[in-house]
Amino acid sequence: MQNSKPHILIVDDEKGLRVGTHRLLESEGYIVQSAENGLTGIKYGTEREFDLAIIDLKMPDVDGLEVLQKIKKVFPFTVCFIATAFASYDTAIEATRIGAYGYIPKPFTPEELIYQIEKGYKHRKLLLESERLKKEKEESLLEIASEKSRLKTILESISDGVLVVNKSGEVVYYNNASLKLLGFDEIKIGQQILGNLPEEINEKINRYLQPDSVVNKSRTVQIELNHNSQVFIEAVCSPVLHTDGSFAGVVIVLKNITEFKKIEFIKNQFVSMVAHELKAPVAAVSGFIKLILDKSFNISNEQQEDYLRRSGVRLNGLLDLVNDLLDISRMETKTKQREIEDLDIKEIILNTLQFLEIDIKNKNIKVDINFEDNIPSLKADQNEITRLFTNIFSNAIKYNRTDGSIKVSLSIDKNYLKIKISDTGIGMRPEDKDRMFNEFFRAKNKFTQNISGTGLGLSIVKRIIDSYYGKIDVESEYNVGSTFTIYLPIILPQAGELTTNYVGVQNVTNRNY
Amino acid sequence: MSLIAIIDDDPDIIEATSLVLKSRGFSVCTASNPDEGYKIIKENNPDLIILDVMMDEPDDGFFMAQKLRRDKVKTPILMYTSVSKTIGFEYGQGEMVPVDDFVEKPISPEELIEKVKLLLKKVEA
Repeated sequence: MQNSKPHILIVDDEKGLRVGTHRLLESEGYIVQSAENGLTGIKYGTEREFDLAIIDLKMPDVDGLEVLQKIKKVFPFTVCFIATAFASYDTAIEATRIGAYGYIPKPFTPEELIYQIEKGYKHRKLLLESERLKKEKEESLLEIASEKSRLKTILESISDGVLVVNKSGEVVYYNNASLKLLGFDEIKIGQQILGNLPEEINEKINRYLQPDSVVNKSRTVQIELNHNSQVFIEAVCSPVLHTDGSFAGVVIVLKNITEFKKIEFIKNQFVSMVAHELKAPVAAVSGFIKLILDKSFNISNEQQEDYLRRSGVRLNGLLDLVNDLLDISRMETKTKQREIEDLDIKEIILNTLQFLEIDIKNKNIKVDINFEDNIPSLKADQNEITRLFTNIFSNAIKYNRTDGSIKVSLSIDKNYLKIKISDTGIGMRPEDKDRMFNEFFRAKNKFTQNISGTGLGLSIVKRIIDSYYGKIDVESEYNVGSTFTIYLPIILPQAGELTTNYVGVQNVTNRNY
Repeated sequence: MSLIAIIDDDPDIIEATSLVLKSRGFSVCTASNPDEGYKIIKENNPDLIILDVMMDEPDDGFFMAQKLRRDKVKTPILMYTSVSKTIGFEYGQGEMVPVDDFVEKPISPEELIEKVKLLLKKVEA
């Protein structure tokens, strides 16, 4: 509309004047439309937006002021003139009051009209321009407002605490997470916060607030807080700069690292335990070697031999330990690469017992096997399940008494494969039972002092069972024996789907050990 | 001749330590856990106690030393450590650990004898 020719509406019941004005304006390059009465004028003027309108004040049907009002109501930026032969001071004022831009007294000369029209059109352009600017401003304000609310939503929905302070140390922004992490009941915008923050964070912020400090680095500090429980927090402090690069304040991002710290502590403790367990046999062997090599101790040949034999035992134990540790580490990293296949659990149990046959015979242990028929296959990794039963059975043998017995039963219990292994061994005290699955835990009593072990066997068993969402129960009586019941979840076959694969294994079941 | 109590859960370490000390003319009594340890200390009243930090529990030796001091046992204690510098269990020479000296496993016979003699001399002085 800006660049096209101005559109003008003429509303006048007096034909001569109407036609004359129409022609005059057309010849001046305006696009003109005429209405011969008030109602038609209202109709035209409200149908589409004219740049300008010249409205006769006195018309038989509708008063010019009413036409003006109606048009202004729909198009407030149409610049309207009131033309009249009955010029009076009062009507002029009234016309202006209700929105007329100018007042053209009749009769008028073409020059007078053109002059007024040009002035009115300039005014129209100014009106439109100011309206455009106003809209633009409103839009950008709206954008800022929605950007702010978007940012607020983001900051509120993250679990890290965010706290912003200005260079005077007053709170400019905070989210609810920061409130919670710092253990505050209340933070107020504008509040001086430096005195209330933990000392370590204060100290970091203060470095930025020094008048002559130029710091563009973020600083991180880990702190321990005690609100209701022990909480570890990592605070990252970074400078906030104005667009011109001058210092505006500090943003502090608070992260709850309690769980991470717990894991770190457990890891450190484990490393420490491993180091101790690895070092103990090394220390023993190294001690013996020094005694043998140092001639000043005068050790007899028999004693030397004894020391070498004991060193060998310790080194074998060390090797077992390293293998167990490797197993654990493999399990931690390899669970996602395991090979899951249909396993015949009976076969695995029987193979394991076969593998341990020498130890079973040496102690003259009787093995009693009771397998239920129609046991479905287990979907699992063969190496892991074999390792599980090797550890369980070697314990049942190692801690058994001579001429003792081991009972193995296999059955289905709801959605689980239930494997029950009982021994007539040394059993466990209740207090030892609670800790038996802990890494490096070995019950210490008169029975165990001469039995070697890494302290990792049952811990590995537990890890394997847990990784298959199974469970293990232990019943034990000190000096009587222990029963381990292992539950491994299985997918039960539908009726009629039972396979015949197991027939071949059935006869092995009756084998004697 | 001085009597030395060795309290360690590792029978091989007890064996080696006993041999070193005996060969240098010391008398030795041994125990493999804190309970037995208290017993031999009460019964034999040794001149020096060699105590392993980690027995059944990571801090067994440490707690035993504290208990002995609480019980007004003033006998010097030489503590055996194996993972003293590992993260998690770090001991320094301070009031926290009421022992007189540390010796790191594996033990060098010369170092052991030297520390034992030094501690015994301190008591005499």
